[in-house]
Amino acid sequence: MHNMPLIYGINFLEKSMLSIIPETVIIIFAFMVLFLAFFEKFAKRKNSYYLSLIGIGFSILYVLMLSDRNIYGFYGSVVFNGFEVFLFIAILISGMFTVLMSKDYIENSGMPAPEYYSLILFALSAMMFLVSSNNLIMIFLSIEFMSICAYILTGYIKGDTRSTEAALKYFILGAFASAFLLLGAVFIYASTGHLNLYAIHYFLGNISYAGSNKANSGMGIKIYISAGLLLFLVGLAFKMSLFPFHSWTPDAYDGAPTPITSFMATGIKIAAFAIFLRIYSLIYNFNIMNFNDILWLLAVFSMTFGNIAALLSSNIKRLLAYSSIAQAGYIIVGIIGGGFYGYSGTLFYLLSYIFMTAGAFAVVVIFENSDIISLDIKRYSGIGYKYPFIAASMSFFLLSFAGIPVTSGFMGKFYVFSSAVKSGYNWLVVVALLNSAFAAFYYIKIIVKMYMPDKEAANQFLNSSGDNSGIIGGTIDDGLMLTIIICLILTLLMGVFPQIFINFANNSADSLWRI
Amino acid sequence: MDFFIRHLLSILIFFPTVSIFLLLPVNKKNEWLLRNLSTFLSLVEFIFSLYLFIYFRTNTYKFQFVEKFNWIPSFGATYFLGIDGVSLFLILLTTLLTFVSLLSSYRYIKTHVKEFVILMLLLETFMLGTFAALDVLLFYLFWEFMLIPMYFIIGMWGTGNRVYSAVKFVLYTLSGSLIMLFGLIYIFIMHYDQTGNFTFNILRLYNTHIPDGLQLILFIALFLGFAIKIPLFPFHTWLPDAHTEAPTAGSVILAGVLLKFGVYGFFRFAIPLLPRAAFALAPFVIILGVIGVLYGAFVSIVQKDLKRLVAFSSVSHMGFIIIGLFAMSAISVDGSIIQLINHGIATGALFLFVGMLYERMHSRQIKDFGGIAKKAPILTALFMISVLASVGLPGLNGFIGEFLILIGSFHSYPVLTIIASSGIIFAAVYLLWMFQRVMFQEVTNPAAENFEDMNLREIITVLPLIILMFLIGFYPMPFLERIDPTVLHFLSMINHHKTVYNIIKLKTGLSNA
Repeated sequence: MHNMPLIYGINFLEKSMLSIIPETVIIIFAFMVLFLAFFEKFAKRKNSYYLSLIGIGFSILYVLMLSDRNIYGFYGSVVFNGFEVFLFIAILISGMFTVLMSKDYIENSGMPAPEYYSLILFALSAMMFLVSSNNLIMIFLSIEFMSICAYILTGYIKGDTRSTEAALKYFILGAFASAFLLLGAVFIYASTGHLNLYAIHYFLGNISYAGSNKANSGMGIKIYISAGLLLFLVGLAFKMSLFPFHSWTPDAYDGAPTPITSFMATGIKIAAFAIFLRIYSLIYNFNIMNFNDILWLLAVFSMTFGNIAALLSSNIKRLLAYSSIAQAGYIIVGIIGGGFYGYSGTLFYLLSYIFMTAGAFAVVVIFENSDIISLDIKRYSGIGYKYPFIAASMSFFLLSFAGIPVTSGFMGKFYVFSSAVKSGYNWLVVVALLNSAFAAFYYIKIIVKMYMPDKEAANQFLNSSGDNSGIIGGTIDDGLMLTIIICLILTLLMGVFPQIFINFANNSADSLWRI
Repeated sequence: MDFFIRHLLSILIFFPTVSIFLLLPVNKKNEWLLRNLSTFLSLVEFIFSLYLFIYFRTNTYKFQFVEKFNWIPSFGATYFLGIDGVSLFLILLTTLLTFVSLLSSYRYIKTHVKEFVILMLLLETFMLGTFAALDVLLFYLFWEFMLIPMYFIIGMWGTGNRVYSAVKFVLYTLSGSLIMLFGLIYIFIMHYDQTGNFTFNILRLYNTHIPDGLQLILFIALFLGFAIKIPLFPFHTWLPDAHTEAPTAGSVILAGVLLKFGVYGFFRFAIPLLPRAAFALAPFVIILGVIGVLYGAFVSIVQKDLKRLVAFSSVSHMGFIIIGLFAMSAISVDGSIIQLINHGIATGALFLFVGMLYERMHSRQIKDFGGIAKKAPILTALFMISVLASVGLPGLNGFIGEFLILIGSFHSYPVLTIIASSGIIFAAVYLLWMFQRVMFQEVTNPAAENFEDMNLREIITVLPLIILMFLIGFYPMPFLERIDPTVLHFLSMINHHKTVYNIIKLKTGLSNA
């Protein structure tokens, strides 16, 4: 509170700097991690690991300190208000989990650590810039910044063909998507004459108002702007991995180092959904040329395709990748549902999605680190008895994905679906619910493998891997354990006592209206 | 004591969960302690639940032992518990059967004892919560999570094709529940549109005005969720598999408690929320019930597997209960509720006996048995009583329920009732024939030569059930006087709609059709 008076006499630079403090902190720490690697004394892997965690911690601290502010920096290109507070914290948590998961993974694969951690931090700052950007150029720049970090991280396992292939695929497709995004921005700018989202919002508001008075007025603009919005949507749908633009997802998720897969599934997805939510609430919301119908189709196809493909895959990372496509479909249901209730539901779902995804990937990392259990689901036979706690947590996360009550997945789905029913999208909800029932099958399939193995299969895999004592027991990384425990507690908490999280999401959704 | 009575429901619901934490530190290898401690804790739970019976006021339909706290204000969801005459007995049945099935598993469950007792206690928490919840969201939370422990119990300790059965059970019920969830959300949103308040309080949701056409659609949505659980005729296919492959304790809980949730759901949610649709569709539901009665009976007759036979007899008995509930006269609904309890007791006991036979002979095939009566007189006598209770012999509990159902339904649906009553005869055929082949005749299987009679633990396991069979059979008043006010209130709540529905039917000329 002591620096309150400073706000009133604020000048341009101070205000602008204040609006990007959390990002700046992250960037400073990213450079520190990078520079400290020059000095032999500090170049241990552990140092960069702890330094990145400290950086994330500081950034969260700054977000909390600024949490009641409403700041517009850089002539309105960057916004910082309740919406950002929620999403910054979500993104930083997902970054924190990624760092926590990486320690042993990096050690085992022998990859250079400082660059890895600093890239994660850079990606984090890019996501935060993306969420707080309020200007078409700014959006494009931050998406590019974020994507380039993600491309490098995907291909980080040097010499591994799958990782390199994944990175290349991701890069080429991503470049196309960026081109679409940029083209969309150009169309929007050309038809409205504004880059600032708020300005575009007012412009469109005036047009729709005028359109209700005079027939056909603004029709030409509407065609251009809907072309722009369509192209823009393509670019964002790529990042959100919605159905027809999903094809990079399974390959990139599969090839990337597993902590990075978790990062892509949580951080990048949340940032993409957040910026889409902002643009949707400001621009798409006018429902020019029935945009909701397009989203409706995207949601239905994403859910159905994701679930069917997940059912057919036998690799756990690919399965989670396809299931994340399906989850994106559910999240879109909340955005279509719209209104205060729908946006807050979407944010709640995004937050719960972080914990279950990060938790599930942490379990995958544990098994990957121990080298006894590969990514093939068949190898999960009988681990339920060998590693009771880890298997139980994995089951809990999978049940959360499936939307079984007592988990956050159920509350999130309930919130999102009821908002869609509220707006009258009954069929969409029926399709989504049938999809959840269908999806439960492949999540349960993994649980079956863990707890109810065929006798021969279990013996073959588990006994071939050496003695029967807990092999993983002694060597589990603290960071991974911490990740799993935090995710477990929060998944349970959000499923049973969601009110505080709902309030948090409500505050955030509320500030979308405070233009 | 005052605090104890006021929060009795919460204590009952969460006591098993707390017991889990007592069991967690026990060493996995110490199976003796695990079994006895869990059985003891479930007995304590049952004794606690008897306080409900003692302190229950008989002459009121109002919810008792009510507890209400804010839970999720944003959705208007509250932690709202309360019981009436119907849920009272279902709760008592749950606590009793959990104790009985834990006691019955000493010999059957040989592996992973710790996991087993923990899952059973977890299951108990969620079953009790489902019966006590008066908030729709809270109810749904308990209702759906219940599947998970049951799924593990079938899948981990079952026999034969256990994984297939467990997955089938979960997917079937889950799909039904999710469709039901849509119906519940829709009613919730409709109530919001009409009043401007989010609420999940079932007592307030009863007042939602829902147009007739919509009622039909929503009723079908809820119907799917509940009918699969019961299971009503075309949705029953998961049941024989799940029952047959589940361990004894799982079968007892499945038949004794889980099947009751469907009927309870109709009683508490579907019919009072959507009364006009319920009236309109009642004949169809009753026809499904009658088909279930006959189909279950016919299929039971030809079963070669003991457990499958009992499982199909469940389909038949649950058909009766649905007929009674949807006939919607005071007597038939009374009968239905009594029969719910009876079915839990009698079928639970039958599963226990089948379990004992299986433990001794390692077979469930009827042809492997024969001449057991000479070796094991106690088992034969007690098994006989349970069979006769299930058949519906006067003086035992089954008779009371079926008799009330048939009398109550005859007025509205004479033809269907007559057809259904033939189900009782078939029940006598398949159960007594089975009993004859298993217990009497000559010893054909050499393994039966060393057949042991019941030991003390097994007698204690079934004794409470046997006592209840006689008690309900001879003196059902303590049960009926608690159920009756609730049932009358239930009917008075929906009878208003019946009048309206009849007027609509007259106006549209449907009555001639």
